[in-house]
Amino acid sequence: MGLDHSLKLQIPFENARQAAIAKEVLRPDPILKPQDFQVDYTTDQNVLRVNFQSIDERVLRVGVSSVIDSIKTIIETIDELDTPSISTGSTI
Amino acid sequence: MLLPTAKYCGSDAETVKFEVNPADARYQTTDGRTTGASPYVLNAGQVDRDRPSEPRRDANGKITALGELRTRLTGLQDDINEFLTQRMELAKGKKPKLQGNQAKQEERIENEIKELLDGGDGEDDADGL
Repeated sequence: MGLDHSLKLQIPFENARQAAIAKEVLRPDPILKPQDFQVDYTTDQNVLRVNFQSIDERVLRVGVSSVIDSIKTIIETIDELDTPSISTGSTI
Repeated sequence: MLLPTAKYCGSDAETVKFEVNPADARYQTTDGRTTGASPYVLNAGQVDRDRPSEPRRDANGKITALGELRTRLTGLQDDINEFLTQRMELAKGKKPKLQGNQAKQEERIENEIKELLDGGDGEDDADGL
């Protein structure tokens, strides 16, 4: 059985730097069963794109909801801690 | 305005787009319907210490752009979770859960808990084991 269930998520941030931070924070998370579920993170300017592929709806639901929970935490952390003076920097 | 979107594509080539309506109350809260502790646990008196914080507000009391993004993403997450749960039910060959079924399920769990609290272990121990 292939990974024939997919979901593409697009999340626009305030700027490209925030989207890049989110991608770099999410990317190290290991996928426990890559034969059942895969996730790919890319950015296009200020937009974080997350592509999920899964063996079925159940695995997709668990994986997508878990990643969205992580993204919400990242958004909250940037909102609380990323000061404007830091945001003006060009590097992560 | 930061509006997250999603697009599902199933094995049967069905595609579904998920979009946010910022005016809808479901996209204005960080308290998701499909995340966090279940109503059953909360009704039993459990305190949800992991409940998400309210969206951040600036000095003028206005919700920040990232705070709004978090509320919209919470609503989108609920939409996706509810849709995929329905698809799971259909895949199992069952009808989507109805309120009546849910009430019966809760009653069954409550009875099992009551039975356990009364000392029963739910097993027939007539043979003395």
